[in-house]
Amino acid sequence: MQKILRKRILRDLKENLARYLALALLIVLGMYIVVSLVAAADTVIVRSAGAAKEQAAEDGQFRLFAPLDSVQLQKLEEKGVTVEAHFYLDYEIADGSVLRVFANREKIDRVQADFGELPGEEKDIFLEKRYCEEHDISVRDRITIGNRSFTVCGIGTTPDYEAPYRNLSDSAVDSKQFGTGFVSLADYEELKETVKSLQSEEHVYAYLLNDRLTDKELKEILQDFCLSAEDVGDTYFQEYWDRTGGKLAEFKEGMDGLTDASADLADGMSALEKQGKTLSETAAMLEAVPAFGGLQAGITGYTEGVADAAEGSRKLADGISGFSRETKKWLDDNFDTGLSKLTQFLAAHDNIRIGAAADDVMINKMAGLFAGVLLIILFAYVISVFVVHTIEKESQVIGTLYALGVKRRELLTHYLFLPVIITFVSGIIGTVVGYSSFGVRTQMKDVYNYFSVPDFSVLHEPYLLVYGILMPPAAAALTNLFVIYRKLKKPALSLIRREQKMSKSRQIKLAKTGFVRTFQIRQLLREMRTAFTIFFGMLFALLVCMISLNCYVLCEHVREDTVKDTKYEYMYTYKYPGETVPEDGEEAYGVTLKKEVLGYNLDVTLLGIHDGNPYFEAPVSGGQGDVLISEAVASKFGLNTGDDLVLKDGENDRSYAFTVKGTVPYSAGMFVFMDIDSLRKLMDKNEDYYNIVFADHALDIDSGRLYAASSKEEVQKSADVFVELMWPMIIMLSAVSALIFLVVMYLMLKVMVDRSASSISMLKVFGYRKKEIRKLYLNGNLAVVAVSALVSIPVSKAVMDALYPYLVSNVAANLNLTFSWWMYAGLFTAIIVLYFLSMPILMRRINKILPAEVLKNRE
Amino acid sequence: MYLETNNVKKSYGEGGSFMEVLKGISVSVEKGDMCVIQGTSGSGKSTLLNCIGGLDLSDSGSIKVDGKEICGLSQEKLSDYRRENLGFIFQFYNLVPNLTVKENIQVCEYLSPQPLKLSELLETLGLTEHQNKFPSQLSGGQQQRCAIARALIKNPKLLLCDEPTGALDSATSRDILVLLEEVNRKYKTTMLIVTHNNSIKNMVDQVIYLKDGQIKKNYRNEQKVPAAELEDL
Repeated sequence: MQKILRKRILRDLKENLARYLALALLIVLGMYIVVSLVAAADTVIVRSAGAAKEQAAEDGQFRLFAPLDSVQLQKLEEKGVTVEAHFYLDYEIADGSVLRVFANREKIDRVQADFGELPGEEKDIFLEKRYCEEHDISVRDRITIGNRSFTVCGIGTTPDYEAPYRNLSDSAVDSKQFGTGFVSLADYEELKETVKSLQSEEHVYAYLLNDRLTDKELKEILQDFCLSAEDVGDTYFQEYWDRTGGKLAEFKEGMDGLTDASADLADGMSALEKQGKTLSETAAMLEAVPAFGGLQAGITGYTEGVADAAEGSRKLADGISGFSRETKKWLDDNFDTGLSKLTQFLAAHDNIRIGAAADDVMINKMAGLFAGVLLIILFAYVISVFVVHTIEKESQVIGTLYALGVKRRELLTHYLFLPVIITFVSGIIGTVVGYSSFGVRTQMKDVYNYFSVPDFSVLHEPYLLVYGILMPPAAAALTNLFVIYRKLKKPALSLIRREQKMSKSRQIKLAKTGFVRTFQIRQLLREMRTAFTIFFGMLFALLVCMISLNCYVLCEHVREDTVKDTKYEYMYTYKYPGETVPEDGEEAYGVTLKKEVLGYNLDVTLLGIHDGNPYFEAPVSGGQGDVLISEAVASKFGLNTGDDLVLKDGENDRSYAFTVKGTVPYSAGMFVFMDIDSLRKLMDKNEDYYNIVFADHALDIDSGRLYAASSKEEVQKSADVFVELMWPMIIMLSAVSALIFLVVMYLMLKVMVDRSASSISMLKVFGYRKKEIRKLYLNGNLAVVAVSALVSIPVSKAVMDALYPYLVSNVAANLNLTFSWWMYAGLFTAIIVLYFLSMPILMRRINKILPAEVLKNRE
Repeated sequence: MYLETNNVKKSYGEGGSFMEVLKGISVSVEKGDMCVIQGTSGSGKSTLLNCIGGLDLSDSGSIKVDGKEICGLSQEKLSDYRRENLGFIFQFYNLVPNLTVKENIQVCEYLSPQPLKLSELLETLGLTEHQNKFPSQLSGGQQQRCAIARALIKNPKLLLCDEPTGALDSATSRDILVLLEEVNRKYKTTMLIVTHNNSIKNMVDQVIYLKDGQIKKNYRNEQKVPAAELEDL
């Protein structure tokens, strides 16, 4: 029997080809997007891990004030740790971008070439690929760095700059503005000699632990390393040292001089005391000569005095020695004067540049898999509405077949066949296209357009095939099984008589309203299932839409806030601050600390400023425990006034607890503000210490003193990158959501019309005109769509706002997802417009219903 | 006796809307007989047919078909009973719209371990030339023939017909009745026909007349008139 019934499946498919095709196309599209998205994510996750292994990706890196000496390097080697210097210099290129130049690596974070070769020849440079893409640089092109001209010998990637952030505190990668380059060691040294770099050389070392130490153990070893100031050749450092740590050394040297002098004094006095004894013995011989009695008494008095003085000077020497020892100990305990002070220790898992692509796509993967299931359940339910409609239409046939002995499960299998086969075939097509190199590579474009990763070969994970091919029919079978079983459960007689069970909700008494309104309400009550499907279809489509709109507003807010809140024109971050703050500069003291959120350790800058700083509306007051937080910090960490804020100093294993005293209207960075003097005290810094200067115009500061110099223009350009990068995704998701909604709404409304075909036909027999029929059967749906929109928009917005922090957990930016009123209005209008777009097609269907139809059905 | 009912009662509704449709019906039908159940609207004739067919459940009493009690059977068992014993024909043909005549018949062919020969049945019912047509391409009479063929293909012992000519014109009705007569003769199928039509009683072996849920008349026809000769159909 199934064989015979199956023949009608094909005919049913042909009769409703447009309907099933639309649905199948959506499933194909949905599965294509999901499978390609997840396959791309898997490819990036697995292949980037493989590439990292191949390129000997670092276990971490540390930054030192000055290079390690040979003894310290040897000590690390003895501990089994592989260390390689990754020193670098930043250069401004002709187009205003910054190129970070390294000497080529041998052991750790090795360069991998996509094109060309590694730097070997003199004046060859290997460039990072994203920078080249943004600047149209090809192999053999020439580039000028620090007035030296280099030939691009190769283009590729390194694992330590997978996300090529210029600074670890940056919130976005901007390869138009920043890239990395690798030259031979000789060229690097030569470049350094030009003194054209934007800042002093950074002493960064990458390390591999080789399973011999932990990150913590290595850090402890590094913290104990001490360097001599004389080892550092940098003149700015020497000048800085003379004013800071050098003063303390001078004091200690003075203490040593005093100790030595007091010891010398004691020694001298002891020698004098010895001589005094000889003098006393000589004086004793004068005892026999009365005339020298006075002299003898004098000598005795003198020698006794010398003895006392000698005793006193010895005590003084002991005392000074003890004082000096204790003073130096106290100084050592209370002042950090070791030159090896670790300025940064960053394990790879805390480094936002490393493994960033995999972290980013992991969210896509989880969201994609989940959305895929939701999408298929929605479509399976839509199909079930069709099937239910068919069953109701064929109710008498089914009843007759029951009467003839056909079993329910036989019909259940029959009615399940089409949903399962449609979802199965659509799933296969979607999966095959999504799983193809084309599909995966298309999805990986986003990764390649943002991260600097090698060209990955597409990875085919078998589970995804199972997911893409088996999940849709399985979901369709389960959803439809439940719905169809309920419909087929009716007794044969009830089916033959077309008995309709009317739920109590449909039997409500309506207040006295006009005929049209009453009819529309009754029609709505009858079509509650389809109305709910429209609602859920709209909700799902809006959830997809909200991902893109939230992304849009987040990027827009970041851009706007950055423009609005960045009031300084220039910000200079010092490595070696000068003795005085440059004229027209506003001093500040910044410390970069960490705070964890959703598994990510984000950089937070604790910024000490004076009250009245013109660039921040932050009325800081004294008190080491009181801070003001930027809006970015407040939103990212969910902090409010009165909350406790704990920031971690990873380098020194210290935590600082503060009380939030208020929020500062500043969204352009993860800043925590406090009074500069309080911060200096908290961090044991001199009362005039500073390391950041803000200014409203460019200041004349030697680049050798600086870690970094950034301008408002650069900050704004970096913020623009967000919108630019996300725009294709925003467009794609918005289009997909509109399509989902349009198809679901059209299909459901068409089912409504089909179910009412007999009644519409009857009304035509009565003489109703098209407009009147439209008013009765279609216009009522406007209310369904409008009410669904009014409910779905805030619900989907609330759901996505709650989920969004997880989707962008690694983005250090103010999570301002606020929609302006016109966005809500626009969204509502778009939904209504989509509704009206589907109207002409539905009217065409209504027009096709002939008055004879009702007679035919009753024949 | 092939079919025996004993004191079958059936009621619907509760309270004010309570209605006793069958008030203790006891009838019996011989194997291979054609029997007509007549009565006015609401007399309970269709309800009796549905109870015998296991489509409706009686409140009390006994219904035995071929010696087997069907009252009290579960829905599953009733389905088996219908599968193994019954054929149904309704006033509205209830054909699967997107299956051809032949396919509509084949739907039920698979229900029986020993079905009738399809080609022979098509020939008997005059459907050979229409076998590849869809229901919408057939006249009412042809559709009803198809419904009869569908009911007969599994070679049922008992054929239950609910107003089989109710939707047909006079000439077509006669054709259908001739056909039923022929089927009865050829396959020895016991037939129970519910009808409003007063003429049909003349062609059958037994006539049962119901009024208000009770048997008013129950008699055997001494002189049957062939269906082809029936008047006032």
